[in-house]
Amino acid sequence: MSAGSVALEAVTKRYGSEAVVAGVSLAIPEGEFFTLLGPSGSGKTTTLSMLAGFVVPDEGRVVMGGRDMTRVPPRGRGLGMVFQNYAIFPHLNVAENVAFPLTVRGAPKPEVTARVAEALAMVKLTGFEARYARQLSGGQQQRVALARAIVAHPKVVLMDEPLGALDKNLRYHMQVEIKEIQRRLGMTVIYVTHDQEEALTMSDRIAIMDRGRIAQLGPPREVYEKPDDSFVAAFLGEANLLRARRDGEVVRGPGGAVLATSAGTPPGGEALLFVRPEKVSVAAGLAEVLPNHLPGRVLHASFLGNIVRYAVEAGDGATVLCDAANGAGAVLHQPGDAVTLSWRAEDSRLLAG
Amino acid sequence: MTDDLKLPRRLLIGTALAAPATIARPARADGEVIVRTPGGAYDDVMRRHVYDPFTRETGIRVTVVAATAAKLIAMFRANNVELDLIDTGDAQLMTLEGMGALAPIAYDRWRWSKPEDVTSEVKLPYRVGNFTYATVLAYNRESFPGDNHPKSWADFWDAGRFPGPRMLADIASASVNLEFALLADGVPKDQLYPIDLDRALRSMSRIRPQIRRFWDTGALSAQMLSDREVVLGSIWNGRLQTLIDRNAPLAYTWNEHMIQVQALGIFKDARNVEGAQRLADFMMQPQVQAGYAKALIYGPTNERAFDLLTPDERARMPGGENSRRSGFYQNIVWWHENRERVTRAWSRWVLR
Amino acid sequence: MPLGRLPAWLLLAPALVLLFGVFLMPIGWFLVSSLRELGTLADIREEMEAVLFSDTIGRVILNTNGIGAVVTLLVLLIGYPVSYALSRARGFAFTLILLCIVLPYFTSTIVRTYAWMVLLGRNGLINQVLLGLGLIGAPLDLLYNRTGVVIGMTYVLLPYMVLTLYAAMKAVDPRLLQAAEGMGASPGQVFRRVFMPLTLHGVVAGVLITFILAIGFFITPALMGGPADIMIAMLIEREVELTQNWPTAAMMTIVLLAVTLILYAVYSRYAEPGQGELQR
Repeated sequence: MSAGSVALEAVTKRYGSEAVVAGVSLAIPEGEFFTLLGPSGSGKTTTLSMLAGFVVPDEGRVVMGGRDMTRVPPRGRGLGMVFQNYAIFPHLNVAENVAFPLTVRGAPKPEVTARVAEALAMVKLTGFEARYARQLSGGQQQRVALARAIVAHPKVVLMDEPLGALDKNLRYHMQVEIKEIQRRLGMTVIYVTHDQEEALTMSDRIAIMDRGRIAQLGPPREVYEKPDDSFVAAFLGEANLLRARRDGEVVRGPGGAVLATSAGTPPGGEALLFVRPEKVSVAAGLAEVLPNHLPGRVLHASFLGNIVRYAVEAGDGATVLCDAANGAGAVLHQPGDAVTLSWRAEDSRLLAG
Repeated sequence: MTDDLKLPRRLLIGTALAAPATIARPARADGEVIVRTPGGAYDDVMRRHVYDPFTRETGIRVTVVAATAAKLIAMFRANNVELDLIDTGDAQLMTLEGMGALAPIAYDRWRWSKPEDVTSEVKLPYRVGNFTYATVLAYNRESFPGDNHPKSWADFWDAGRFPGPRMLADIASASVNLEFALLADGVPKDQLYPIDLDRALRSMSRIRPQIRRFWDTGALSAQMLSDREVVLGSIWNGRLQTLIDRNAPLAYTWNEHMIQVQALGIFKDARNVEGAQRLADFMMQPQVQAGYAKALIYGPTNERAFDLLTPDERARMPGGENSRRSGFYQNIVWWHENRERVTRAWSRWVLR
Repeated sequence: MPLGRLPAWLLLAPALVLLFGVFLMPIGWFLVSSLRELGTLADIREEMEAVLFSDTIGRVILNTNGIGAVVTLLVLLIGYPVSYALSRARGFAFTLILLCIVLPYFTSTIVRTYAWMVLLGRNGLINQVLLGLGLIGAPLDLLYNRTGVVIGMTYVLLPYMVLTLYAAMKAVDPRLLQAAEGMGASPGQVFRRVFMPLTLHGVVAGVLITFILAIGFFITPALMGGPADIMIAMLIEREVELTQNWPTAAMMTIVLLAVTLILYAVYSRYAEPGQGELQR
């Protein structure tokens, strides 16, 4: 078993009678960028705390590099960590902060000096050694936190919403840099965020958490395009979830239209038909372009620059969102226009209602 | 009993210093005399035997207040005298007298008492003694049973024959027991004054390892004897008698006791000098003195008061037969003139 | 007009009037009227030198500083863990600890001192228990000596230290401690390298306030000490009450006041809000 692999085996943590993490199992191979994504209260921070060793699970095991770490305290786990609030020590300067994980382990002085220089170079903070946290910008503090997490060359780094406090531009830059460093050092990163875009950009795999369980686990594209349930579908990006009914082999959508779908079909009865807005084509009039089509009327058109988002009334009071690329020669539909919506069967899924 | 109220006194220092800043109280009618007293149980005794009868007789109300020596001086210096009659140790009155703060005692206008009945040692132009008290040698009867107890200050100094922790008075109690140190060192009673300070302190050094604590308040001296913190000590007779009457296993010898004087003085700038003169006159009567002296177990200063006491009562009192035979008067003039020198020498000595 | 809009000096006015009336004015009157007795400035200087360089006051200043230092150290050693417990306690435990600490404030000096006498006396509870257990052969001298003074003063001064440290400890972000632990620090290292440095300004402030109060102590050493345990405030009282030598008392007061003000100036630097606070 490689040193950087991490696994949770049916881990449960209760506070009182409430299970904040309920039977979660994960297996993360070495070198993977793994993200725990979910709304607040979904159990992702508690899961990370059990990985870190701050919280001992009531049931299940935490395994790292093949060793059972369930009851090992944090300092025995050899992890790098980046905290939500950075947790830069205010009484230490940048160099001393970054050196902290080395000095508590009693590393020799020359090694400390060399590694701190290396880590600061990696986060582009060379020259800031003597500064204190209060003399640094938010982005710089974040870099100090990052340097401190990697300075001891840990196999596994845990990051708890590390970019949450940064503005959008800076956040994008840091996403790229974190990714870059992770690749260079080949370390396993377990990343907690509630920002879906960040999760999709950075991760090799994402676990979407909901009420203490993993709702779905997979590569970004898979969880985005093939959600297993309506929670995952709605949590990640925009989704149309249309009321549908399955009668034997036939699926009927709004207005009784017969629709074809891909896999993931539940047995008969009430269901929800999932399709992303950008997968829906909008054509003027009553064209029959693709096998799945619905007649509708434009309620609203929002011009967003590179795309135009339409809200289309498609019978039985169902509103469908469609994103049309504002490409070469694109035609803009107006509210009140009669249109036909269509999508490919493999771009839609029938989910439990 | 120069000042039996050391503890509150300390707390009062702040107030003493603040005295000049306080706003003068509204003018009082002649119907009130304000008296400085040592406070505590003393006030109850005096109210019953002196103040209330005085009010019934004259219609003048008596109010008691606590005030330290420093506060009295501060009042006088700040020209803000808040009381009329001062009932305190004669040493403190001497200081005030020296500052010119006191009015002469109007012996010629006394109506109730006869000046010629007052013991001559305490009948002075600016102050008149209202009782005497004694500092005696007390011991624990359980530690020294039967007749095997210290009978003199030389015995007190003999830790080999009479072992056990002891106490003597601290300078903060107004005066230290230099006289006893000299007696222990062989100086005869009638040659104590002027005190040879160096000799007294040398003698004091010999007993110091046996001294558990130098007491600064009457309350502390009583506490230490009754808690058996010490088994021997100098103590005011009234304090001790109270413990004995409560069946504490304590006793004392009249031998070589020191008689001290509590006295009355009147602020010359007081609002009610006349009322204060009348209260002093009233307090000096034989039957009044016999009443409070009996209750306090201190000695009357009006010779006629002794006639009103039983032989048993007289035996318990300073100034009684026992006392006259074996005691001596503390020389307050010597103390007044040497107090600063003694205090400094004492401070040096205790810090050594 | 809402209270918050009033200028600061107006809000402070009642306190300032009180301070002036009952503290500054009397003390000023005392110092000026006492020193004037001495005559010219040259006379005052001469007397000042005589007082300050006398053998007695030298020893008393040594006593005062020595007792102050020992008491401050003890208060710190006892107060630090107590403050830590207090900063971590919740609900009933918090109330209980706090009550035990501030209890000295609710008891009168006399009651408190007699309680100590019952405990520490030659025939007191502690000695009787130790004698009864056979741990000692003769009663220990716990009262009427330096030990008694130190015990009494430590007890009275503990709350000042605990409350100062508590404020500093409460301001430490617990996430920093968790972070240190996560980065491999043992509990001891978390304390030494993070918690202690972050509460150091509280320690400095607590030490200064305790020492300032200790060197002005009066009642406790007077009641619980031995003859040689004279502190500067007792000597001042002696000069005022016994020898009525107010000029000398005034000089000593000036010395004590000056030392106190200097230490207070240092203290106010450390007690400033924001010192050592987590910057985010």
